[in-house]
Amino acid sequence: MMSILRSRAGWLVPCAMVGVLFASLPQRSLAANDAREWLARMNRALATRNYDGTFFHLSDGRVETMRIVHRVHAGRVTERLVSMDGSGREFVRNNDELTCYLPDQHTILVEPRQDHGPFLGSLPQFGDDVNRFYHIEALDKSRVLGHPARLIVVTPTDQYRFGYRLWLDETTAMPLKTQLCDAHGQVIEQILFARLDMPESIADAELTPAVHSEGMRWVRQEPATDSASVSAYRASELPPGFHLTVAGAQTLGGAHVPATHLVYSDGLATVSVFVEAPRDATPPSDKVDVAAEPPMQGLARVGSGFAFSTVVQGHQVTAVGEVPAQTVEFIAHSVRSSSSSDLAAH
Amino acid sequence: MSEQIREQVSAFLDGELPNSETELLLKRLTKDAGLRESFGRYALIGESLRGATHGHLTKGFTARVNRAIDGEPSIALPTAAKGGVSRRWRSVAGVAVAAGVAAIAVVSYQHRANGPGLQVADVREAVPTLVAQSGGASVSGSAKPTEAISYTVPATLAEAPVVMPAARLTNYVFAHSKYSSVMGQNDVLNDLLSEADAQEPHATEASRDSRTVP
Repeated sequence: MMSILRSRAGWLVPCAMVGVLFASLPQRSLAANDAREWLARMNRALATRNYDGTFFHLSDGRVETMRIVHRVHAGRVTERLVSMDGSGREFVRNNDELTCYLPDQHTILVEPRQDHGPFLGSLPQFGDDVNRFYHIEALDKSRVLGHPARLIVVTPTDQYRFGYRLWLDETTAMPLKTQLCDAHGQVIEQILFARLDMPESIADAELTPAVHSEGMRWVRQEPATDSASVSAYRASELPPGFHLTVAGAQTLGGAHVPATHLVYSDGLATVSVFVEAPRDATPPSDKVDVAAEPPMQGLARVGSGFAFSTVVQGHQVTAVGEVPAQTVEFIAHSVRSSSSSDLAAH
Repeated sequence: MSEQIREQVSAFLDGELPNSETELLLKRLTKDAGLRESFGRYALIGESLRGATHGHLTKGFTARVNRAIDGEPSIALPTAAKGGVSRRWRSVAGVAVAAGVAAIAVVSYQHRANGPGLQVADVREAVPTLVAQSGGASVSGSAKPTEAISYTVPATLAEAPVVMPAARLTNYVFAHSKYSSVMGQNDVLNDLLSEADAQEPHATEASRDSRTVP
């Protein structure tokens, strides 16, 4: 154990050495700046380059093989993510919407994207907020996929968020290997490219889903146009560093009443909170809506993150995010109505 | 895993497999679920053994992985059970206890954050029985309980279990994905893509009232 710790400390030395060259800056901050520059390069590469790669997604002893195709052409971004392991599932994203083809469930889900330039817009900026809750370091050089790579480590300073280790291609800054880690550095999930090409151009055919859509059920999740449908429910307390970034409403697939969709972020991790009104608050309808289902209560694992659902003042509150279980629990439990009229109604 | 494939996988994870052979390995992996499982185990064992060295390959790494794969007695092989891997490996590799964190906090956090150890029982207000599920796979209808699973709260109340239906979970995740950071975004989507075992009835049931486009 001690030797492991010692060897880890050993990797910090090169960073510190670089820092000494710039006496006006603290050693640590220089290393951090370098790491942030790498992450910014990665973000730019992911958002602006063409690439076509196959990667393994390892989690909980399972491995999925997937292909990603990303094209930026004439100001339009198109991205396709395909499962290569038999389910035939695919995602296709462009500037306007995200479409999920689930042939094994005879379903196609569509999520409109109203915001323009959404990919760039959603990139974390690694600003001061992020610095307070994550240590970001550029560590050793190594090799991944036969390429020289730079290891960037993003370590959370508490247990309300996950960390990352990213091996970035020295030349392109593309993440050849990515690990999601808990606060103790334990790997939760890993993405490992087996092949990654960065072609000058990508043909339309490479971005066309292989799924035949005849006979499939289309489910569209609509953004609510009426801002009045955003309820007064908010998290009354948050883990350190998290703040409200978006408050909107949208009708989720299968529902007839818009759910309030709140987004909380610490600058890097994001948590969505969905607040759904109880059934008796909805207009009469001969259709069954999800609010008519029995209330949900509890924790579910969602990929690398968690979802936690509970009932607050009669409303179904569900928090979802790529964060530890305690973070979604904390936030969901703290949701309260900030308006007295809402309180009076229930 | 045959010796040849093991060597290939090992070389791949070390970043030393030539591209031509990587393609072959990839083809094999996409066709063979059993091999994928072994590969996943292999890769995870590797990560655990590398643990705190930040992914730097130490001398003898491959040999240790091979021993681990062969079931060296002191090392419990992770099973396919959801989330069993990391917890077990934590004790094996002794990775750990990050400096400055009280041991008790570490324990309680690990329980919560890592699958099967999750003590849903201490969820506040200990509601009825709660069945947590893995990324949308339904517990009740699954043909593969080891994958679907997870954990149930001790049944303190007699009511029927309240689950989070896969389709609703999918809808939440889907709506959330738009706001995920670039690092988290593909990850949540990957998860939806990879739920090949998700139960069809739930999805169709929940979406039956949705707007249907011919």
